[in-house]
Amino acid sequence: MSDADATSQTDSPITLRRYLTTMAPRLVREGSLYAAFVILFIVGCLVSEDFLTPDNQKAVLRQISENGIVAVGMTLVIITAGIDLSVGRMLGLASTLAAMLLTGRQWTAATWLALPAAMGVAGFLLALLAKTLLVKNRDDARARPVTIIAFLIGAAAVGAWTIPQVRSGLSIPAVVVVVPLAGLLLGSLSGLIIAKCRLQPFIVTLAMMTSAWGAARLIARSDGGGAYIHQAYEWDVPGLPALRKQVFNLLPVPGIFFLVCLLIGWFILSRLRFGRYIYAIGGNEETGRLSGINVDRVKIAVYAISGMLACLAGVLDCAQYQQGTPEAGAGGELDAIAAVVIGGTSLMGGRGRMIGTLVGVLIFGYLTNILQLCGVHTDVQLFITGAIIVLAVLLQEGFVERWIHRRRDRRAAS
Amino acid sequence: MEPPRAILEAHHVTKTFPGVVALRDVSFAVLAGEVHAVIGENGAGKSTLMKVLSGVHPDYEGELILDGRPVRFDGPRQAQQSGIGIVHQELNLVRDLTVAENVFLGREPLTRWRTIDRRTMNAATRELFQRLEIAIAPDRRVGDLRVGEQQMVEIAKALSLNARVLILDEPTSALSDRETATLFSLIRRLKEQGVAIVYISHRMEEVFEVSDRITVLRDGEYVGTLPATQATREELIRMMVGRTLKSFFAEDERTTPGEEVVLSVENLCLTGAGEVRRTLIREVSFQVRAGEILGLAGLLGSGRTEVLEAIFGAHGDRVGGQICIDGRPVVIRSPLDAIECGMALVTEDRKATGLIQQVTVRENLSLPSLRRLVWRGMVDRGAERRLADEFIQRLSIRTPSREQIIVHLSGGNQQKVILGKWLAINPRILLLDEPTRGIDVGAKAEIYHLLRELSLRRIAIVMASSELPELIELCHRILVMREGRPAALFAREEATQEKILAAAAPGAKETADVGC
Repeated sequence: MSDADATSQTDSPITLRRYLTTMAPRLVREGSLYAAFVILFIVGCLVSEDFLTPDNQKAVLRQISENGIVAVGMTLVIITAGIDLSVGRMLGLASTLAAMLLTGRQWTAATWLALPAAMGVAGFLLALLAKTLLVKNRDDARARPVTIIAFLIGAAAVGAWTIPQVRSGLSIPAVVVVVPLAGLLLGSLSGLIIAKCRLQPFIVTLAMMTSAWGAARLIARSDGGGAYIHQAYEWDVPGLPALRKQVFNLLPVPGIFFLVCLLIGWFILSRLRFGRYIYAIGGNEETGRLSGINVDRVKIAVYAISGMLACLAGVLDCAQYQQGTPEAGAGGELDAIAAVVIGGTSLMGGRGRMIGTLVGVLIFGYLTNILQLCGVHTDVQLFITGAIIVLAVLLQEGFVERWIHRRRDRRAAS
Repeated sequence: MEPPRAILEAHHVTKTFPGVVALRDVSFAVLAGEVHAVIGENGAGKSTLMKVLSGVHPDYEGELILDGRPVRFDGPRQAQQSGIGIVHQELNLVRDLTVAENVFLGREPLTRWRTIDRRTMNAATRELFQRLEIAIAPDRRVGDLRVGEQQMVEIAKALSLNARVLILDEPTSALSDRETATLFSLIRRLKEQGVAIVYISHRMEEVFEVSDRITVLRDGEYVGTLPATQATREELIRMMVGRTLKSFFAEDERTTPGEEVVLSVENLCLTGAGEVRRTLIREVSFQVRAGEILGLAGLLGSGRTEVLEAIFGAHGDRVGGQICIDGRPVVIRSPLDAIECGMALVTEDRKATGLIQQVTVRENLSLPSLRRLVWRGMVDRGAERRLADEFIQRLSIRTPSREQIIVHLSGGNQQKVILGKWLAINPRILLLDEPTRGIDVGAKAEIYHLLRELSLRRIAIVMASSELPELIELCHRILVMREGRPAALFAREEATQEKILAAAAPGAKETADVGC
């Protein structure tokens, strides 16, 4: 095909052949990821007859959903060439907050932290929405009053909804809203420092990870005189089982949360301008800035989303184990990073897809499940998981293909 | 007389990238002690061929023969060890290491205690630079050097490996005339020592000045090889494009700018970042009318690039002075502000600031105009595809499809994508920094015609370039920068290369105040 043909081809409508020629390399690379998943699935069916039972599949979905929700946020962060190490401890903080908000009958450290934060964030989000919808022009005189009024309405609405519930313990929907909003605030704080002070995401989120852990322990201790874990067997929280129940006996609720988050994440990345900017910044931040992208704002937003999703996962964790503890989610950031990278997202930024993250999370979950079903000792499980991560990433990077090609070339040469 | 021996030969080399055949059955030979120029249009496969020769692309069909023996390089390192050195068009230096550390990267001299022998390394580098007549201190950080200086470091590095075949891919695209002359005298000396030099360039004058034989590639295929003494300019251009190209400019094509001043810059200043706070540019004032093309000339480091970046808001609040658009003062603190004022900036360095490398032609083209392409917060993908197709066609960007990843395009086509992405926002003021750097004759002509068309459509253009003939042909007026300040302003009728060079040279007599 000469260059002239190539030019004329761009004018013609999409043909199957052209679609395939541009897609083929991508299919081969991503195909190996799906192939690995299918092989793992088949292995699961072979080694244990319990594997394919609906109960086991549901259990897997339940187990992966927390990691999955965190991984969705992590995917966005990693595509901007960043990293968020704070998500694991943020999950623990959220789990503690959720437990205390649900069981508390008074104003505690948890309510003092979570409610004002949630009010502020809700007000801010509403103000942002109002500004984008109502104010077209930068110099519009209405800009200031509109944003202030929207902020007050948002803050007041969340306040009016949640504050009366403090004495009786917050309702489940209130906790599901309030705690992630608080997480959004913490995440955006990381993002703010990373964007405005030009610091490395690694060290800023490392600091946030430590601080969140400290905050969670402080809050937990403030209430129980040193008892960190808020056990829940005596909890009498209406609706809490609903968060771990199954809908129509088919999907566990945390799994639904995961799938919805994943869908939203996919929508952001593939359909929204914001998503395009995420790729652009990860690919070449300077080009993005010179093309008129507000780089700082995009960065703050991805860390905010990551923090919010981590805290949502924390609430689900609390419901799952019927206890809230600062130690929940320890090391969760590494599981999430592993799943994202297995899914083909590049730590260098600019490259990655949500569907890959889904497969990465599934591979991770099924692997653990299969090893458990086989009765492999936990220590051995960890070891095998590590090895599989390396293998999956090698496959993902096209290493195996290249190695095969090179061997064939060498054999042909000699 | 015995014919000179071929030192490096390529036999029937074919190289494909996803969706593109970059080289098709190319054969050619480099003789010992010759300067062999390889020329061709955008996407003709010159750079790809060089990457095959230097081991960067180990997966190709065909055969390489070095000193009469077939070879197959696994990577650039093996090619280097066999005596093939290459200086790529795009710079490949580690910015945070010093000049000497870059030259000796991967083969650092060690002391008795197995630590890096900095003293020997710096001394050897200094010696090498003296031999090459390059005035750069070995302990400077490479990131602090200008592009032209970095290129000299790259060339020195390739030479320090005792290459028997030295491949230079567009070595002069960022060099000043004096640096180019230095390079040429060096090339002649190396030639006398029996080093074969493969020289890729788009500048016809250079090719005739320096080379012994000239090979032409077109659309990935070998067209022919001529001795430089027998080739004519017209013949080479005909071989490159497959048809005869008339001279770029005809007198009746010239445009006349309108009366109304679109962009006016007064007393523009810029201080450097970091602790030094050096003044980079000061007291820059000029006006650009609708449809006018204002040229910015000057040596490397004279502040051409900084003027454009300062106007575009790329340096935030380190900029002083007044910028007016249509007579109204505007405040520009970020590129976003500038874009909203109707400005666009095509930067000098495609790789670092022009493109998002990992994504498609379509996504690069639509990036600055995504704000317009939004429907209820979602990217309107139909409109985006139409926009991409429109500009691929309008600028005749050669790509197998709009979904091609941009790095697989040739330099000239990448440059067209960058121009396209800015034209897509319908700018009123277009700032161009070296718009034809590293681009062949055909693509240059296309870009010149495009600029002329934009000028007819009343767009105000400011264009910085180190190619004086280009400025003189294209611009209505030329502002010459020297050491961060305006040194002279010439109308096209009075501008000559000699006058501009005289005004640009540091230490030249201060020209009386430059009012614009």
